[in-house]
Amino acid sequence: MTQPPPTSPTRPGISVPDLLVALTLTALGIALFIGSREIPFGINAVVGPRVFPLIVSVGLTVLGVLLTVSVLRGARAEPAAEEDTDLTVPVNLAAPGIILGGFLLGAAVLTTAGFVIGTAIMYCSVAWAFGERRIGLIAGVALAVALVTYVAFTRGLGLSLPPGILKGLL
Amino acid sequence: MEALTSLLAGFETALTPINLLWALIGVTLGTLVGVLPGIGPALTVALLLPVTAKLPPVSAFIMFAGIYYGGMFGGSTTSILLNTPGESASIITALEGNKMARKGRAAAALATAAIGSFIAGTIGTLLLTFAAPAIADIAVQITPSAKFALIMLAFVTISATFGGSPLRGLLSLFVGLGIGLVGTDLQSGQARFSLGRPELLDGIDFITVVIGLFAIGETLYVASRLRKGKSDVIKLQGGATMSKADWRRSWGPWLRGTALGFPFGAIPAGGAEIPTFLSYTLEKRLSKHPEEFGHGAIEGVAGPEAANNASAAGVLVPLLTLGLPTSATAAILLAAFQQYGLQPGPLLFITNGELVWGLIASLYIGNVMLLALNLPLAPVWARLLLIPRPFLYAAILVFSTVGVYSLNNSVFDLGLLALFGVIGYGMRRFDFPVTPAIIGVVLGPTAEAQFRTALQQSNGDFSIFVTQPLTAFLMLCVLAALFVPQLLKFRARRAS
Repeated sequence: MTQPPPTSPTRPGISVPDLLVALTLTALGIALFIGSREIPFGINAVVGPRVFPLIVSVGLTVLGVLLTVSVLRGARAEPAAEEDTDLTVPVNLAAPGIILGGFLLGAAVLTTAGFVIGTAIMYCSVAWAFGERRIGLIAGVALAVALVTYVAFTRGLGLSLPPGILKGLL
Repeated sequence: MEALTSLLAGFETALTPINLLWALIGVTLGTLVGVLPGIGPALTVALLLPVTAKLPPVSAFIMFAGIYYGGMFGGSTTSILLNTPGESASIITALEGNKMARKGRAAAALATAAIGSFIAGTIGTLLLTFAAPAIADIAVQITPSAKFALIMLAFVTISATFGGSPLRGLLSLFVGLGIGLVGTDLQSGQARFSLGRPELLDGIDFITVVIGLFAIGETLYVASRLRKGKSDVIKLQGGATMSKADWRRSWGPWLRGTALGFPFGAIPAGGAEIPTFLSYTLEKRLSKHPEEFGHGAIEGVAGPEAANNASAAGVLVPLLTLGLPTSATAAILLAAFQQYGLQPGPLLFITNGELVWGLIASLYIGNVMLLALNLPLAPVWARLLLIPRPFLYAAILVFSTVGVYSLNNSVFDLGLLALFGVIGYGMRRFDFPVTPAIIGVVLGPTAEAQFRTALQQSNGDFSIFVTQPLTAFLMLCVLAALFVPQLLKFRARRAS
């Protein structure tokens, strides 16, 4: 999802990532349309459960086609400006990759290793991806945040979160 | 007069010690998340919904209302001291307020923003007090077909009329509508788009969508384009105060900003950007010092900030009387009502008078608390801006995980959360507004229900949407909201 290098400074040409997004949205619309046609009509109803999904899917498909056309004519999206972002620095896709990987790993071990370990893994991956390199500090803060959250939510608010391998300790 | 009696009863509810405490927690939390980047009032209410399920609804909504108003106050602190608006409605504040702060007038900028927000919020709440019951009286008689048309109008104005790109706004809306379709259809019991997964039969919880699109999407996006080096926060000594001359220059913009902001919030037009821009232009024209604009004119902070807050109060009018949310936070408040089995709309004033009036009364109280919290404590809030980003964003991700996991104790939901996080990243990267998607998820099922009820009443005759007078009029407004801005743009392009 990086910006392609401009082919020539005068004519921007078609942006491939923008085109992929537009085609994905169109495909999603078509998939919804096919899915809608598989919904049964429903009995004893003037308007069954498939009418509204059909309208939504047709709308999404038409809008997706319109976006595809505008991208083919040279339209491209400007990335959003947020509080902590700098649009002039080169895009670093490794950072969101680390966060996503850490999140999925943490989620995968959440029930077996426990909530504290799982969310601590997530915490570490975000802090690392945001450029913090003091590993001991990250791990300490991660465990503290995870523990405090666990205790506050289970003892204080009465939610049940998986204790995992720390079962005896917590 | 009837409104006054109800309001007094509302104060009785809101002034109990326990509810005052919830209001205080709400406004403190609201200011906190308003100041902090990466987390806002919409996300906070969504995160708190699973854990507040056991509270009495009145207390929960008093806290949510505090978060809603508090987020506005906190947001202006960030835009003045950091010059990076967290939301589009704060662009002007960031522009003019940050210039003031750089000239050493941070205290005055913060003071005029906070006092202006207080005045606009109070007048806005006053207007809400009297307008809401009157509109609710009329709204009771609206037919399902007109309700459907009204929802269509909100859909179009929010996604197409005032956004940057109508096409991208509408696409965002339709993706939201699609997400809202997943699950068992309540009228027929048919499963729709559940892909054979039992977890999807109950539908996708909007909390997962909101937290994914906002928190996870924001974290992924910021990480990919992180600002290097320390953020440039302006130091603040002492509380927020301003001089007599500042007062003289501020009160006019406050009142005019309120007058612009409230109606824009109250009509389903979505967004506080327009009134803040209008207020800025108006103050520039009226000012005796137009040359100061762009270099830190206090009027340019006072007016837009008041407009921003008045429109926040205005947004509550369609939300409470018609069940029509016109901003992301309002959509989440609507979903919160639904979680408690309540349906905002005209009947809410009759069936749950204590709740509604307690909520409205708490808005007055919350505003006073916010003024007290923000003037002397401004330096404390300013400190929050110095929190190192790695630890801040990591904590937001952990809280997001707790919020979503505790919905159903299901790891499958965390997978969905990651999916919506990636979609949220893509929306920021490819310039799709997030609010229309949220409105689509929350309001889509209501739109479908009204659509089907209307057609059942007409025995499947689609002409009901053009023959019922109010419905036809609203449908004309929908078409106008969709095409008039495009025509104007086209004509402007041809003229130039």
